[in-house]
Amino acid sequence: MEVADVINFLADTTPFNQLDNASLSQLAANISVYYHQRQDEVDISSERLLIVRTGIFTLYSDQQQLLTKLQSGDFYGYQQLLTGLTDDDTLLCEEDGLVYWLKADAFHHCRYQYKNVDIFFQRLFSRRLHQYREQQQGSRFTLKISDIVQQRKIAIRPEQSVQDAARLMSEQRVSSLLVEEQDKLVGIITDRDLRNRVLAHALPASTQISQVMTRQPQHIDRHAYLYEAVQQMSQHNIHHLPVMEHGVCCAMLTATDIIRSQQDHPVYLIGEIHRQTSVDGLERCSQQISALALTLSKQQVPAYEAGHIITTITDAITQRLIFLAQQQLGEPPCVFSWLAFGSQARMDQSLNADQDNALLLEKQPQGDIADYFAALADFVCQGLARCGISLCPGNIMASNAELRLSLKGWSGRFARWIATPTPEALLKASIFFDLRVIDGSKGLFNALQEDIFQRTAQAPLFWYHLAQAALQRTAPLGFFKNFILEQDGKHKKGLDLKKRGISLITDLARVYALSVGLHEINTRKRLQQLAAQNVLDSKDSQNLLDAFDLLAQLRWEKHQHDLQQGHDVTNLLDPMEISGLARHQLKDSFAVINEAQSSLKHRFCRDM
Amino acid sequence: MFGWLFNKNTALGAVVDRFAKTPLPAANTGVKQASFLVLDLELTGLNPKKDHIVSIGWVPIRQQEIILSEAKHYLIASPVSVGQSAVYHGLHDHQLKQGEELATVLTTLLSNYAGYVFVAHHSGLDEQFLRTACQRCFGKMPRFKFIDTMKMEWQRLLRQGKVVKHDALKLPNCLKRHGLPDMANHHALEDAYSSALLLLSQLKLGGNNMTLSDLYLLSR
Repeated sequence: MEVADVINFLADTTPFNQLDNASLSQLAANISVYYHQRQDEVDISSERLLIVRTGIFTLYSDQQQLLTKLQSGDFYGYQQLLTGLTDDDTLLCEEDGLVYWLKADAFHHCRYQYKNVDIFFQRLFSRRLHQYREQQQGSRFTLKISDIVQQRKIAIRPEQSVQDAARLMSEQRVSSLLVEEQDKLVGIITDRDLRNRVLAHALPASTQISQVMTRQPQHIDRHAYLYEAVQQMSQHNIHHLPVMEHGVCCAMLTATDIIRSQQDHPVYLIGEIHRQTSVDGLERCSQQISALALTLSKQQVPAYEAGHIITTITDAITQRLIFLAQQQLGEPPCVFSWLAFGSQARMDQSLNADQDNALLLEKQPQGDIADYFAALADFVCQGLARCGISLCPGNIMASNAELRLSLKGWSGRFARWIATPTPEALLKASIFFDLRVIDGSKGLFNALQEDIFQRTAQAPLFWYHLAQAALQRTAPLGFFKNFILEQDGKHKKGLDLKKRGISLITDLARVYALSVGLHEINTRKRLQQLAAQNVLDSKDSQNLLDAFDLLAQLRWEKHQHDLQQGHDVTNLLDPMEISGLARHQLKDSFAVINEAQSSLKHRFCRDM
Repeated sequence: MFGWLFNKNTALGAVVDRFAKTPLPAANTGVKQASFLVLDLELTGLNPKKDHIVSIGWVPIRQQEIILSEAKHYLIASPVSVGQSAVYHGLHDHQLKQGEELATVLTTLLSNYAGYVFVAHHSGLDEQFLRTACQRCFGKMPRFKFIDTMKMEWQRLLRQGKVVKHDALKLPNCLKRHGLPDMANHHALEDAYSSALLLLSQLKLGGNNMTLSDLYLLSR
């Protein structure tokens, strides 16, 4: 006989929420309920799974260090059940509460019966976070035509000439036209028709479109699925499909549209960017970035790939702005490299990233040279801002005269940071050590990068201070009710996924990478290569990668959510809004970061 | 004509005897060591002579743990209509037709939980109904040892110098006061489980040195 309250609670608790009713009843029948009062020490010697129903329980290590706090839906005891090894932890009741004790047999039975329950506890134990995701709906196969087709109707009348058609096509940069008579679709004409039916037959330019167009063309509804369009095109061996809505033609879908939508949507946008002839045009293109982001997320592109794509688009916009600036300002007076720092350099830019850029010049920025590059930088930085990549609040931008330096200037600046490091300076400067060339001379940039690597490779004092800077911020301990639990026991309302997570891993990876002269700057690749070179233990590296991917994924999903709600895109996560699973995973990634930080401290800050 | 019934009564009478003969733990037994059976009855009315048991729910406590594997809930095949009492317990005549015979359920109760201290919220009523039921089914009336979570709560509040309104002692209000999940809903098992939670909380608040005789005193 089951107690409804127990069943309901289990049915709401990850991972038991996947169990069917019979299994839930069976689980409940193997539970004993115990009540704890504040300051009780929980007897954790029995080999059972503890499930917190109400109240708060604090876990201390054998050295009386606060490890974590458990609250409703949290577990203890799975460690021992999975490994047979006991811990010397102490679990204290901090706020009166009920706990469920689940018998070991029933726990194991449930694990064997439900693979996901087993995976959940294994991951909880080994802090392997990735790949445990609930089944998700949606994929590229569920995209609809309305998701990809442009709301742009380019039509012509049947009595107009084929020359008119050719002119309109080249003006609009399209390969086909809708032919309409009194707003009714009567045919289509394509550039292939102009070639095969007009030129090949030596018809005059004045030939009427109605003579050579395809009449009564195949068409498709705007709300049909994309694969239906693919099917229709393949079946009839055609490449153009007029798109109808409520019986009226609203756009043309081409085979190229479909190919682009499948994988190369960013490529398409990048192509568009490179065709723009004004900042206005670039601004229009950049407005498609959020739509692209939504498409990427519908297609379940992982966050790090999406970050790569977003960065590539920023690169393209930057390159095009530099091109447009040169059209306006004339040829540059000397060779230059446009540099990006931070996330753009690391290729993991997010939707709310701001600008971090600078100029590296072949010659000293004096006189005309100084004026030219000041104007160019201003054009590009303001242009980027119009395209949604906001100005850097810290003024790390090429439009800042201090960041337009010659090779000698930059080299001197890096030399100072490296040879006589101070914690305050490095806290601000660490971003400069992730750099990449976006446009201009690669050779000039390589010279600077080589110079930096040579200096950082043998500079333990610099590593020490860089490590210190990386240790300035820590991850929270976990969650506590709807707050973030801090190391000092205090609670906070929101979690900044970047400042309290992603950046911490980025900073860690940078210290290790610079200390061994690794040229890679992307955080994921840094971690992989550090493991390959045995600088990092492969398990630690994998854990950090998992934590990094999880945090990036949560941020990516948060940004999607903000976009869909029409909010400003922020990194601040409300603990109220995350699922039980994400809560467990986040808690574990905090633990991974905290452990990695203590190894970093041990490695670089010991002998100083 | 009623011979079979008489025989059955004699055979079942032995269950009552065994139950009565099983000693209860000594009064100076610490509450941690004692075993409790928390139960709740849903009734057609408040008069044990006229009214009937509609359903019984119980859950045992051993070493201060509620053992859910032994949680039980029985609907009792009632000889009369539940009438207006359906308003409270939500059980209707057609459900109760499929219920268990009262004697069968009482046999299960008495044979499995001899030596247990019985617990109920407002236990006086439950005790009277159980005794009457045993008299009817077995021709014998065993003595139960009950403790009452409602009276314990009343004593606790009095000692804190509080004026206790009658309402304050209803099960949902007690649960709320103890910060326990409130799902008391006049369902015999849910209410028995809720009373069990309340008892655990009361035992904790009473301190580590409480004995059964303390509980008996508080239940008076």
